[in-house]
Amino acid sequence: MSQYTFTSKSRYTTFGLMAIGVLALAYGAINHDISGTRFWANILLEGLFFTFIALGASFFMALQYVAQAGWSVVVKRMYEALTTFLPFGLLAIFAVVIASAIGGHANSADIVYKWMQSDATDIAKKVPGVFDEMLVKKHLYLNVPFVIIRTIICASLWVYWVRLLRKRSIESDLTGDFLPLHYKNVKTAGLFIIFFGITEQLMAWDWVMAIDVDWHSTLFGWYLFDDMWLTGVIATILLTLHVRRRGLLKEVNENHMHNLGLWMFSLSVLWGYLWFFQFMFYWYTNIPDEVVYFQARIDHYRLPFWIMFCINLLVPLIVLMTRDTKRNPRYLILIGCIIMVTHWIDAYVWVMPGTLGLTPKFGFYEIGILLGFIGLFLYVVLSNLAKVPVSVKNHPYLEESLHHHL
Amino acid sequence: MHQDSIIREPLLLGKKTYHQVTEDIARPVEGKANKYWWALFFLAVIAWLWGIGCMAYTVGRGIGTWNLNRTINWGWDITNFVWWIGIGHAGTLISAVLCLFRQRWRLTINRSAEAMTIFAVMCAAIFPVLHMGRPWLAYFVFPLPNQFGSLWANFNSPLLWDVFAISTYFSVSIVFWYLGLIPDFAMIRDRAKTKSRKILYTLFSFGWSGRAKDWQRFEEVTIVLAGICTPLVFSVHSIVSSDFATGVVRGWHSTVYPPYFVAGAIFSGMAMVLTLVIIGRKVLDLEEYITIQHIETMNKVMLTMGSVVGIAYFAEFFQAWYSGDPNESFIYLSWNNAKGVYGWAFWALIICNNLLPQVLWHKKIRRNLYITFILSIVINIGMWFERFDIIVTDLYRDYIPSTWTYYSPSWVEVGIFVGTIGMFFTFFLLFARWFPFIAQAELKTTLKATGDLFHNPPRQPKSTDFVADHGTHAAVENVH
Amino acid sequence: MSKVIVHALYDDDDKLRDGARRVRELGYGINEVFSPFPVHGIDKIMGLNRTRISICCFIYGCTGFSLALWMMSYMLIYDWPIDIGGKPNFSIYHNIPSWIPVLFESTVFCAAHGMAITFLLRSWLFPGVSPKNPDPRTTDDHFLMLTTAYSEQDVNALVGAANATGAVEVKQVASNDSHH
Repeated sequence: MSQYTFTSKSRYTTFGLMAIGVLALAYGAINHDISGTRFWANILLEGLFFTFIALGASFFMALQYVAQAGWSVVVKRMYEALTTFLPFGLLAIFAVVIASAIGGHANSADIVYKWMQSDATDIAKKVPGVFDEMLVKKHLYLNVPFVIIRTIICASLWVYWVRLLRKRSIESDLTGDFLPLHYKNVKTAGLFIIFFGITEQLMAWDWVMAIDVDWHSTLFGWYLFDDMWLTGVIATILLTLHVRRRGLLKEVNENHMHNLGLWMFSLSVLWGYLWFFQFMFYWYTNIPDEVVYFQARIDHYRLPFWIMFCINLLVPLIVLMTRDTKRNPRYLILIGCIIMVTHWIDAYVWVMPGTLGLTPKFGFYEIGILLGFIGLFLYVVLSNLAKVPVSVKNHPYLEESLHHHL
Repeated sequence: MHQDSIIREPLLLGKKTYHQVTEDIARPVEGKANKYWWALFFLAVIAWLWGIGCMAYTVGRGIGTWNLNRTINWGWDITNFVWWIGIGHAGTLISAVLCLFRQRWRLTINRSAEAMTIFAVMCAAIFPVLHMGRPWLAYFVFPLPNQFGSLWANFNSPLLWDVFAISTYFSVSIVFWYLGLIPDFAMIRDRAKTKSRKILYTLFSFGWSGRAKDWQRFEEVTIVLAGICTPLVFSVHSIVSSDFATGVVRGWHSTVYPPYFVAGAIFSGMAMVLTLVIIGRKVLDLEEYITIQHIETMNKVMLTMGSVVGIAYFAEFFQAWYSGDPNESFIYLSWNNAKGVYGWAFWALIICNNLLPQVLWHKKIRRNLYITFILSIVINIGMWFERFDIIVTDLYRDYIPSTWTYYSPSWVEVGIFVGTIGMFFTFFLLFARWFPFIAQAELKTTLKATGDLFHNPPRQPKSTDFVADHGTHAAVENVH
Repeated sequence: MSKVIVHALYDDDDKLRDGARRVRELGYGINEVFSPFPVHGIDKIMGLNRTRISICCFIYGCTGFSLALWMMSYMLIYDWPIDIGGKPNFSIYHNIPSWIPVLFESTVFCAAHGMAITFLLRSWLFPGVSPKNPDPRTTDDHFLMLTTAYSEQDVNALVGAANATGAVEVKQVASNDSHH
């Protein structure tokens, strides 16, 4: 008995959440305060946040193959299920890019990616306040067709490889001859990681860094990379504990949770490290076109900015330092949920100052869209989880994973 | 009890028993050195002495004996400093980070890698001290009262962070290394035939007797130290990178520097470990311990780190252009530098660090000792050029064209560098003769899981080999 | 009958574990085990407490952190404030980002060295101490378990347990000492 059932009760809950999201969308579309930038900025925010969970899970899945990791086999269906959200999240981001491109083409300033406004790079008109000479120099890279082409290529290849990995993994469980499929997956995972390593940087620049188009940081891609990885691991922990509570996945014991908790701990510390150095170097040199990014956040988004940093670094650092907390599901759920929320705040701080300006906005629309995306995410992940047995039967490292001991 | 999957190759060959491990690791310590050892030792000492001469000359005459100038005020000295510090990082990576990841292949190379770390940090420390010009005033870097002759040290300066980072790194690495050595010294002590050896290793082994409580504490201390050393190794090279990144010199001021320096350090350090163990396993007859599989795994780590560094180069190159700042388009990774008078240094970096290591994607090459050995040296040269490029080619085109200049080292600078290489190898050769080259006590804990006496996979594993597993699986399910 | 220490020498860690478990099942305590490497789980079988050395480490780390914070604020804020590069050092808040590296290093320095020194002192290890393992083979490939017998019956039980679990050598050493 290793089949997860997506009960009708939880199904209706996700439908309810999605309905709230649709209502919020409708409300946003007709409300003139929201319908422009704020409408799309929130879709981008949720798109990024949930896509990053799925991307982190995808990277984690590929990593287990290339690193020849044995311990993770018993939870592999969990992160595999999380990857299924990838196409939906990417579509949401893509919709924002297209909407900005259309708005920018009509020379509207009410768009998420301000650089797409056609007057911003119009040398003939040079509209004061809109024209940006820096953008003209970047035009070779930052132009609408190229960004759309890049996004399509990266997103479709990611989805293709990730789905292939999951498909083969499930297939190999059902057939007796699973070793060839495993070796095939090792190769595919390697290819995916190489491609992902490079394109993740590009997409981080295009989707997030280009919101504040005059600001740049060479660390930014790595910073987002760690964020994906971490939220992917936390989602895996939460999903595993949820499935275990249903009485399934008995083979997962506190040793596996210890390993996952260790990942949560170390990636949180790594996150703090990357955040700190990016901030510290710009703070230290105090060069105007670099500190402007942090000034906007510290002066106008002070509360979310500092709360997010302190909680994201200190809470896991202190609580998860000991062995016992990493092996205790209660602590893992508590800390996992806290960091998940504060990483959402982090994503809010990436997106909002560059799109909505210096006044933070948070209202029914934001909450509605967030709930809608949570509903969609849970629906996609749980319904895919319910399609295959959660316990793995055939895997070359299964024996190691069952006897994993820390 | 841990069980390895049958598709994993055994890590230790030669059907080793516990006693055989003892014999093999004690042999170099108890035997006599051969003529190759003496030849290498002699060469290394000569180089070291030559370096000491150059250092004395520098101290006596001042750093005017170096070819630094007003524009290029950091040259070979800081390049070598960063290079040596970077080499040290692989030792801590292998012993601490891989310990946390429970990677068993680390156990036959961690001892020598840690020794390498310690000697490399010693070599590195020479350069900033000499660069002070008046090394007898080196105590100024310590937080001493104003009345002592200096002001309080400036804690906002990355150079002072370096003092704290490197002294912490050095001393903690020594402690970590020595604690691991204690049980191995005890092993040599207990089988010593000569009186002098008995006395010496009794002293070295601190009276270790291997009681259960001592082992319990020992294991706890090892894992906690590994946990501490992991952020420490990140912090050290990040702080070294801050020497550059907190500056307003274009090319230096880049946020990616900390992780990029750490990755580069592991890249070059792993290359140096490979250089050392490929020779060491042959000379000390430890080929069944440091197997081709170990070499391949290290090559994989090196390839990964090289790729991370490559992506960072790409980000640097791209964002220098993306910033739209004409000044930025002259950084060390830019077309203007590739075309400039230091173009040769730029291409040396790209070829050694990015192009040549790509051959490691082939499994056959990863398992080929000769190519690996050559490549490990190539990568070390490439990583030296990385630091040279960062320092010199970011400085030589100053803000005022009248200050633009060129730099090549004087014989004194080259001499000091050669001297540190001599010192490094002198210490390493002494280490290989007097200290157990492999952490035998720790190795014995995993012998049953990784040795081929206990763990013998079928030649070509097939899916059907796993049939037995289903029974165990069901049993485990029942237990839970 | 005077006290007798039974020395059971094994050549395999799994056999040692079996032997130790057998002795504990018979209701005897184990004085000491000497082994060439940490035998997994033997501390639990012997009934040793968990070591608290990592708690010491945490306390040393906190000490290092506080010392560094006190040192830097005393030197740069209270004793001799200087304006360096337009960054006045007049409050901890304005300095903290550039103090993080030194704070971190001091924490690590004190935690690591404090723990190492505590370990060496608690286990009484330093140059000049003479080793206490009764048999030199226990740093090579043998495992020695010491148990105490107070009567003929104890001796028989302990020797029997050792032989039954595959000990390669069993010795009885008379002892007047309360400890081995």
